[in-house]
Amino acid sequence: AAAQSRPSALQSGESLATLKNESDSLKKKLEEERAKLHDVELNQVAEKVELVSALSIRTRRVLKGHGNKVLCMDWCKDKRRLVSSSQDGKVIVWDGYTLNKEHAVTMPCTWVMACAYAPSGCAVACGGLDNKCSVYPLSLDKNENLAAKKKSVAMHTNYLSGCSFTNSDMQLLTSSGDGTCALWDVESGQLLQSFHGHTADVLSLNLAPSETGNTFVSGGCDKKANVWDMLPCASVSCRLYDLRADREVAVYQKDSIIFGASSVDFSLSGRLLFAGYNDYTINVWDVLKGNRISVLFGHENRVSCVKVSPDGTSFASASWDTSLRIWA
Amino acid sequence: MSALLNVIQAKRMVDQLRVEAGMERFKISLAAAELVQYCQEHRRSDPLLTGITASSNPFKDKKTCILL
Repeated sequence: AAAQSRPSALQSGESLATLKNESDSLKKKLEEERAKLHDVELNQVAEKVELVSALSIRTRRVLKGHGNKVLCMDWCKDKRRLVSSSQDGKVIVWDGYTLNKEHAVTMPCTWVMACAYAPSGCAVACGGLDNKCSVYPLSLDKNENLAAKKKSVAMHTNYLSGCSFTNSDMQLLTSSGDGTCALWDVESGQLLQSFHGHTADVLSLNLAPSETGNTFVSGGCDKKANVWDMLPCASVSCRLYDLRADREVAVYQKDSIIFGASSVDFSLSGRLLFAGYNDYTINVWDVLKGNRISVLFGHENRVSCVKVSPDGTSFASASWDTSLRIWA
Repeated sequence: MSALLNVIQAKRMVDQLRVEAGMERFKISLAAAELVQYCQEHRRSDPLLTGITASSNPFKDKKTCILL
């Protein structure tokens, strides 16, 4: 059962009509406040910054083994292992250096849309059309059946679109086609916090990098990205939203790009933005200057997921062409 | 019943908007300057940006091994 946040108590004199009026006037005030802040463009401030020198990024590894579209992937903190999940119902753990498949799990459903590696490297979480997110401890014993130790943690009322461990193996954050995000205790399966605010399917979520790890962003079919205190519908443009200015500060798009971007990630310094598109390419954008630096070809179908490795030496991409690629 | 739910929803919306209206906001010129500064400060430790030698990147093909 989902726990909704309680609204504050009704004051005397408040009614649906007065609340609607206050809501409208607050929205108008917010729009005016935000417009006042737009005194300059990001790329103007970045004019004196030197250009990014030519990047020599290309495919270094191709991970083949899934039988159908690869929908999601995540890096292990050891910077070499990855977990990927597919429409074929399988979740595979790979050694990115050697291309060895270290573990494989067959899920009881197809379209495993989300997967995540636990910070300890000892478990993976995944889910999709089963409306759940389950955690599988990774056994060192090759003969052990991973499915036997599976633990169902999250339960949604629609498909699981995203999952991520917070800063420990103990808590799992999920996003769902039911329009909500939720925080769960892995050990007990208890729902700790529920986040309502999207008006349609939530497609993706990402945690802010920080020791306390208590902020995350979610993107949805309602074309909104919400930032939550714990306390992505493919869009043709990628947008950078600054939390302190409380508004969009840059848009990365070109007229020649007509296909949606499904997934994005930043390089370690934040200067480069890698975006995977439905036209099978990955575009590399200069975050500060706003221009596209290069286009990476290689995948033979939509790119579903892009993630930079924990030490920033490479990034991985997952695709509907059934493969994953590591680029460096 | 649905009238009560509408009021609860409206109240929740107003609560959220009050929080947002009360937030401190910075001009883009300031926020952008901080973004530029962050990127510049961390650029040397961004292997994908600066490029690192094949020998230090486990994913890049190495040249032949030298036995010491």
